[in-house]
Amino acid sequence: MTAAVERAESVSRRGVLAGAGALATAACVPRSGGRGLRFWAMSYEGDYAPLLMTAFTRATGLDVDVQSVPWTAAHEKLLTAQAGGSLPDVFMLPAGWIGEFAMIGAIAPVPAPALVADLVPGVLAPARVGARTYAVPWSVAPQVQFYRRDLLAEVGYDAPPQDWAGWRRMGHALKRRRPDEFVFLMLLNWPGALLGMLFQSGARLLRDHDTRGNFRTPEARAAFAFYLSLYAEGLAPVALSTEVQDPLAAFGQGRYAIWPSGPTTLLDLSRRQAEIPPDRWGTAQLAGPRGPGPVPAINACLCVSAATAHPAAAWALVRHLTSAANELRFQRMIGTLPARASAWHVPRLAGPVIAPFAAQMRSVAPVPMVVEWERIQIEVQLVAERIVRGLTTIDQGLAAIDARVDAILAKRRALVEAGAIA
Amino acid sequence: MTRQERTAWLFTAPVLAVIALVFVLPTALALGLSVTDYSIYALADWSALRFVGLGNFTGLLSTPLFWRALANTALFAALGVPMAVGASLAAALLLHDTTVRWAPFWRVALFAPYVTSVVATAIVWRFLLNTRFGLINYALGLVGLGPVDWLGDPHASIPAILLFVTWKIFGYNMIVFIAALSAVPADLMEAARLDGASRWGRFRHVTLPAIGPTLLLAAVMSVAGFLQLFAEPYVMTLGGPAQSTVTVLYFMFDEGFKWWNLGQASAVALILFLAILAVTIVQTRIGRRYEWL
Amino acid sequence: MAVNRRKRLRTILVNGAVALLTAVTLLPLAWMVTVSFMPRGESSRFPPPFWPSRWSGENYYELLVRRLIDGAWFDYRIMPALWNSVLIAVVSTALGLLLTVPAGYAFAKLRFTGRERLLRLLIAALVVPGQVAMLPLFLMFRELGLVNSYAGVILPSLAGIFAILFVRQATLRIPDEMLDAARLDGASEPRIFASIVLPLLMPIVVTLALFLFLGSWNDFLWPLIVLSDQHKYTLPVAVAGIVREHAADGELMMAAAVVTTLPVLALFVALQRFYMRGLLGGSVKG
Repeated sequence: MTAAVERAESVSRRGVLAGAGALATAACVPRSGGRGLRFWAMSYEGDYAPLLMTAFTRATGLDVDVQSVPWTAAHEKLLTAQAGGSLPDVFMLPAGWIGEFAMIGAIAPVPAPALVADLVPGVLAPARVGARTYAVPWSVAPQVQFYRRDLLAEVGYDAPPQDWAGWRRMGHALKRRRPDEFVFLMLLNWPGALLGMLFQSGARLLRDHDTRGNFRTPEARAAFAFYLSLYAEGLAPVALSTEVQDPLAAFGQGRYAIWPSGPTTLLDLSRRQAEIPPDRWGTAQLAGPRGPGPVPAINACLCVSAATAHPAAAWALVRHLTSAANELRFQRMIGTLPARASAWHVPRLAGPVIAPFAAQMRSVAPVPMVVEWERIQIEVQLVAERIVRGLTTIDQGLAAIDARVDAILAKRRALVEAGAIA
Repeated sequence: MTRQERTAWLFTAPVLAVIALVFVLPTALALGLSVTDYSIYALADWSALRFVGLGNFTGLLSTPLFWRALANTALFAALGVPMAVGASLAAALLLHDTTVRWAPFWRVALFAPYVTSVVATAIVWRFLLNTRFGLINYALGLVGLGPVDWLGDPHASIPAILLFVTWKIFGYNMIVFIAALSAVPADLMEAARLDGASRWGRFRHVTLPAIGPTLLLAAVMSVAGFLQLFAEPYVMTLGGPAQSTVTVLYFMFDEGFKWWNLGQASAVALILFLAILAVTIVQTRIGRRYEWL
Repeated sequence: MAVNRRKRLRTILVNGAVALLTAVTLLPLAWMVTVSFMPRGESSRFPPPFWPSRWSGENYYELLVRRLIDGAWFDYRIMPALWNSVLIAVVSTALGLLLTVPAGYAFAKLRFTGRERLLRLLIAALVVPGQVAMLPLFLMFRELGLVNSYAGVILPSLAGIFAILFVRQATLRIPDEMLDAARLDGASEPRIFASIVLPLLMPIVVTLALFLFLGSWNDFLWPLIVLSDQHKYTLPVAVAGIVREHAADGELMMAAAVVTTLPVLALFVALQRFYMRGLLGGSVKG
């Protein structure tokens, strides 16, 4: 047998053992007579999670009630659930929210170090608050660019350039060829693109122990200028997601050549293979100012509610869902990449399509660990939208962002000055 | 206590108790919340709560989105009330005409949009207003007018929502106006017609004064309703584009339930209350001047 | 004669205008129904299609039926939301009538101390937007354990100030002599209410019941805040949850819209004779 097959065999054997181990542990949980667990996840994770639960139910006899929460309402739903005392037993949180939910006492610390061993590097840091870990990383979602091979080939490119100047040049070439279409699918209410550019240009966005905005720096200005130029030169559409309601159809119909997005797009593309055959698209690392740079990743973690009535069962469920085998199963179903390092040895994840994700995974931008980060992101994007629509200039916009961020962080500033927070 | 008093308390005490519990008490609490800095930090730790006096209100005054929400809401009311009340009145006049056949059928049909759910019809209208595939732009194209980017252009988004809201609510006031029109004294109308007054003259001097009080009441309630617009922007435009459809209530909902800044959100709620109160007082003052109240 | 011809022309014009207005008004609702029966993806075309190429129930099937895929159940949970809405609306209406109709009568016809002052306070309260109370009410309900419960949804809807005033307005028209005569005959106050006033108020009560039902069915904001368990969602909340994310599936969304709209619409069309009388006249027989 070749080494690769041997490795695959050993992995699958290891996977089975890990899976069996998980099930065995789960089976050790005392059966509470069918009283189930409640589980919330967002978007695709929520829609497809029931498929992972069948094995757990078979092993433990516990039913898991899965509720899928839309991303646009997730923050408020979770907060009102916490305030109303009705959080589910286990739920998914994006890494950026863990600090916030730990602070309000909504999530319990991880009891067993084994749960957070064997992880992809860099993914554990956001889950730690102080000295304790509050969540188990579940999936990583680095951002890359999806591109249409055929459209790029028309203007003589095999793959998109990975520096901003080259990217823009390619964009112009594509625009000259198809003046009625756009090049970059970057919508004005998706914060990922601009935020990536800000981090890639090396801007430090908060200062003074993360209590004040720091957007009036040359690096931030450069990122905003580049972002604006893409819209001003007609390379990206001045539109919101309420207008481009089906980005996949648009990408498939050739209205956009480049689509910065995450691993779940792999699922969308595979579901609609008839519209977009796999040979027509590819993936590459996002372009940075002088080559690929660190970009924030939207990693997902699993947390157990601090008020759950079944902590043992809840942690068993977490162990089950975050096993390498199940993470790989999920990857096959919805595209998000596993957080367990051992899961990455599968040949499927070494292919050319996943390679840019793996490369980007190794260079993740450190996002400020403040409770208000989610809000700050949204406010930055709102000002960016105003700049793009010509309602304000870049300098005015950056000043406005700083003022806004200072206001948002006012309470944090007061607590830091009083010494209540580090 | 007399027999009547005993029965009266029996009849009114339950509902008054409910009103006190779910309305009076929370409103008083809102006043209290608005002078604290209740935020997510307070959800974590009670002792972090601080009394800030008018801090929330001054903070709001320096928040550009708050002013934008106020402007949007004022624009909604200023454009929407004439549109909605005017449409209701026009429809009522049309249906009240003596030559109309099958009036009950038209009445129910035109009333139908009012009973539908905002969520459901917002979906339909979002489709109708779609720039590429919507029926409205298609119809405009048929008469030679260019496609309008209804939900993508910040200047067209408010008219888009107003179209939707007018369609939805005009039926209710139409019924109210039909009732009022039936109460216009017929002999006065007859006398005016015999005197040779034109159609417009009759409307101005006989009909309008007779339905004046109803018109005023409808206007007052419409203004209050438009100032509390929330569901349509929430479902259709998510407050966009460029926050052009963020209303005061939308801002309050975001601030309060999305970010858990209950202190600031309560301040917004109180400002909204004062605004509605002011507008209502102004309207009743005008109404009293014209002896419509 | 010229007058007759003018009158006939006028009849045609006016009726034509009314018909046109009605057609334009009902067009969105009609389109909602036809799109919900179209196969997937058909409505995102230019020019927008009005009639399905073939009538397909696949959207309703996907929306309403719990499907078993690879051993796991997938469900949008619309049917449970429908039943929740029915339950909550019926209970709200029943309790609402029970609370507000006697109160409206009391404010109109029973003399008791503080009546005028309370009345003025109630009218003043109409100006206060309900949303002011919403945030603290949530905190209060949290203490009372009413968050994420049906009672938490129903309770705020029972504060029917408008209903009380509406019933009062209608009750004022009942002649006092009728009631005084009954009192002289020795009937007790509750008896007077039940056997004399209530039958006279029937059209009003039916109208009020319909509008209470409508208000509860279409109520969106408060259930959105109070209910976090998907099993307890009412229909508008469940549909809103799907709509903001599944914007691309137009046909599916239209099916959801039809399911939300149809029950109440059917109810109102069926009972239109009752509430039209209640709204148009508010008048009481006798």
